[in-house]
Amino acid sequence: MIKFTLNGRLVETDAPPTARLLDLIRDEFTLIGTKEGCGEGECGACSVFVNNHLQNSCLIPIGSIDGTDVITIEGIMESEQFKILDESYSSAGGVQCGYCIPGMVMASAALLSKNPHPSEAEIREGISGNLCRCTGYNMIVDAINLAAKKGDGLWQKK
Amino acid sequence: MAEKITAYRFDRLDQTLSQLNKENCSIIAGGTDVMVLHKSRRGVPPKIPNPVIFIDHLSELKRVYQNQKDLHIGACCTYSELLEDPLIPLPLKNAIKTIAAPAIRNRGTLGGNICNASPAGDTLPLLYVYNAKLLLRSVNGDRVVAISDFIQGVRRVGRQHNEILVEIILPSVLEEGSHVVFEKVGNRNADAIAKVGFAGLIRVNDSRVEDVRFAFGAVGPTMVRSVDIEKKLLGKPIPLADSDVAEVVAAFDKIIRPIDDQRSTAIYRKKVALNLLRYFLSSKQYQPN
Repeated sequence: MIKFTLNGRLVETDAPPTARLLDLIRDEFTLIGTKEGCGEGECGACSVFVNNHLQNSCLIPIGSIDGTDVITIEGIMESEQFKILDESYSSAGGVQCGYCIPGMVMASAALLSKNPHPSEAEIREGISGNLCRCTGYNMIVDAINLAAKKGDGLWQKK
Repeated sequence: MAEKITAYRFDRLDQTLSQLNKENCSIIAGGTDVMVLHKSRRGVPPKIPNPVIFIDHLSELKRVYQNQKDLHIGACCTYSELLEDPLIPLPLKNAIKTIAAPAIRNRGTLGGNICNASPAGDTLPLLYVYNAKLLLRSVNGDRVVAISDFIQGVRRVGRQHNEILVEIILPSVLEEGSHVVFEKVGNRNADAIAKVGFAGLIRVNDSRVEDVRFAFGAVGPTMVRSVDIEKKLLGKPIPLADSDVAEVVAAFDKIIRPIDDQRSTAIYRKKVALNLLRYFLSSKQYQPN
């Protein structure tokens, strides 16, 4: 039996230890905000936080997350930081088809919590593991820039 | 009913080693290679030969420390942990920054990159020029092996089934005075598997070459390094004469034999590898880093 914290709630599962965290959170816990893109760790659509570190849930066997703290996009949606990101992505036009966005938002939040005033190069580095086939990235970079400004002072708050 | 999968995750390294001594297990550190290598369709766990044993949480495998001028790096340190560690030399940090992207660097481990033994393993050229030694531990004790002896072929390493790679030792790396470069050529900056990798190290004393080493990645089954060719440059004056550079480039031209694959062609790889070498050797001066 594997036990871990999922979005602040202690959960357990008897799914096989080699099962992917991505499948577990989508299929067993029906948290379908986290997407599968490539399934190989290259697109970032499945990004989650494990112990507050951004990780690709498609590469994580659940046996290795026993006792850890996992947060998905659903787990940050009530936060003030998420509201800023939500508004910023909307006003910058950073969302088109939307498939990459949960992962992009997770990567944005991870970046800003470590570096609340990123340069453009640092923003591009921060989302370098997330593919978007619609926007060409510039509007997403604008969105993160905007979020950094709008949420000034908020990013390192727990 | 799905097949029962046996997996272990012990609290301590000694428990892990005694289990490995009893049965052959698939070892999973970060899992970033293993999970892709054995990937199934969505919703189905990867078909990793089991039993599996998880090791990335073991604190014994996450230490970084200095022993005189040698640097010891725990095999299960993630790339992100190494980027934040003040003991890690700058050229190694720069190499790590070229690996994958933040989310993978939060999971992938240095030990995993070595044991995966990909011909394009990102850190490998640099570890070869650092003369990295690997500390392997089993219930029978420790042994130390040079990385160039440990990696034997494509995804083939000299690890006994009861052993774990515990530490990567970089001898004398904390000594001042070497100039080290690392270059990776890929399709893009993030998440790209190398077409060519190159690492060069040079130490100059009194305007002459005192030590020099090169290693090339992704141009053969394992890293290409030749101590014989390196020796040709010892004692030569800096800046190197064109004829010295040409001799070394010609010698590597004979032993670098890349292949065509989906990422690049043999011709391109060879050209780029030799250009990187020539560029490194043609530097007017070398600043210790």
